Amino acid sequence: MRHTLLHIAVASILATASLPALHAQNQTPPKWTPPRTPDGHPDMQGMWARRGTAMAEANGPNSPLSEFGATGQPYPTVFNTGVSTPQAAAAMANRPAGIIDPADRILPWRPEADAARREFLSHMIPPASLKYVEASARCVPPGLLGGDDRHPYQIIQRPGSFVVMFEYNHVTRVIHTDGRAHVGPNIRLYMGDSIGKWEGETLVVDTTNFNDKTSFSQTIPYHSEALHTVERFTMVDPNIIDYQLTIEDPKLFTSPIRIAGTFAAAAKGSELMEFACAEGSQTLPNIFGFGLFPEQ
Amino acid sequence: MNLAYRNRQSYDERFMKKRLAVCFALGTLLLAVPTWAQGPRGIPRTPDGKPDLNGVWQVLNAAAWDLEDHNASLRVPAGQSVVEGGVIPYQAAALAKKKENFQRRESADPAEAACYMPGVPRASYMPFPFEIIQSPKLVTMSYEFGHTRRSIFTDGTPHPDGFPDFWMGDSRGKWEGDTLVVDVTNLDERTWLDHAGNHHSDALHVVERYTMTDPDHILYEATLEDPKVFTKPWKISMPLYRRLEKNVKILEYECVQYIQEQKYGNAKPVAGAK
Repeated sequence: MRHTLLHIAVASILATASLPALHAQNQTPPKWTPPRTPDGHPDMQGMWARRGTAMAEANGPNSPLSEFGATGQPYPTVFNTGVSTPQAAAAMANRPAGIIDPADRILPWRPEADAARREFLSHMIPPASLKYVEASARCVPPGLLGGDDRHPYQIIQRPGSFVVMFEYNHVTRVIHTDGRAHVGPNIRLYMGDSIGKWEGETLVVDTTNFNDKTSFSQTIPYHSEALHTVERFTMVDPNIIDYQLTIEDPKLFTSPIRIAGTFAAAAKGSELMEFACAEGSQTLPNIFGFGLFPEQ
Repeated sequence: MNLAYRNRQSYDERFMKKRLAVCFALGTLLLAVPTWAQGPRGIPRTPDGKPDLNGVWQVLNAAAWDLEDHNASLRVPAGQSVVEGGVIPYQAAALAKKKENFQRRESADPAEAACYMPGVPRASYMPFPFEIIQSPKLVTMSYEFGHTRRSIFTDGTPHPDGFPDFWMGDSRGKWEGDTLVVDVTNLDERTWLDHAGNHHSDALHVVERYTMTDPDHILYEATLEDPKVFTKPWKISMPLYRRLEKNVKILEYECVQYIQEQKYGNAKPVAGAK
């Protein structure tokens, strides 16, 4: 059955029924056993909404974008109607979310790196030049932390790879699980190079080869090429994938940061729509006074 | 295998016969059911028996620069037409527009000058690899150019009513024998068909056919119908080649970022810009 945007919007309003909340403890193995793919791994295929992964630091600077309200966007934006998760309210209540290590959410900044990003933030509104225009307004791929708001994900599994498709900015991550190595160190990627391996019920994804052009949050507008992440996907009930993300960026932080989140099953009938970002966008033409095409 | 059993003295004859019977039964099953094994035509198949198109593919031609016969020029390889009959059957006014597009192609080609998604069918023959991610109800095309992606729904659903146009259109696929046939509508009129300015309107309707001819080749055909622009439907065809490198994967061609850097990298915001 095809669900249009309108249907999804209606579903968001109506989706208040809650399924039994089977939340598992973080450290104990899940009692429930997930369905299997033909090659014997937990079958996580489907439509999901990711919740709770924001890198919201305590005692951070104010976002220069905070004056623009919930979207944090000074620019006209069109968002879709969102992705609803029927089980969310009950099942999500006890889920871990956000920065879990350090527990006080005060990030282990290197002082010089903290000073540099505060300096960077001071040039964002108005933007001093292209690089200070907020990343999503420039259609920069979201990295591993962006892309959640209102936008679903779809997981497809094949022998030898685990595919995570973002609706947001139409990003596709093909995470190879066939034992291959990372690409060479001179290849630098917005979304990094991800290699997965199964550790029992958990898919562990190691990502390296990032460039330094994606943003962590409104107050952490970039990271370094030394960024290394490890993600752990564990399905703990039919509607919940426990998601953990460890971030190491030795040029910014003196120790790793751990973030917890949840992939919650999206309402039945959700599907990925086309998210066009740069096509026809007037954001940069408005900032700089001229468009990409001569006639604009 | 049979000979090996005969040479092993420890098996008594009755036990051996049982083993042989099991081997025979398994062998028959493998021949009869083309599951993960290769089918009669030697192409890989998915568990549901469809041709398995999963993999990284790429054209080897010059169609991205010009679908029709063209000579080489600076940074443009020469190429023979991939259009059946050689020439695109334009209406007179549309042909004039094509010629105007050609003159200003360096600054006006949406995919090259502004890095817009290439649309369909152009995404298929950009000089970049793309990955086919196939599952029973959804075939996803993930193109390296601009990390463009499109969903081809193979769940029997029709094109939805009242949808807007999309840069990559709305694609509904079905299997006709071993050919994936994809019906594409809702295509945005602002894309071009190649760098030579070949164009279409919002009435464009594309039917693509993906036929695996051996494990490493797909015959790609597309029929384009647009009563506002062409005098009749016309067809292109070309092979898609499997990228066989063991470590092949889709990398990134973040065209939007490169073009922004080129256009705005040294620009100053206008007064009052936020």
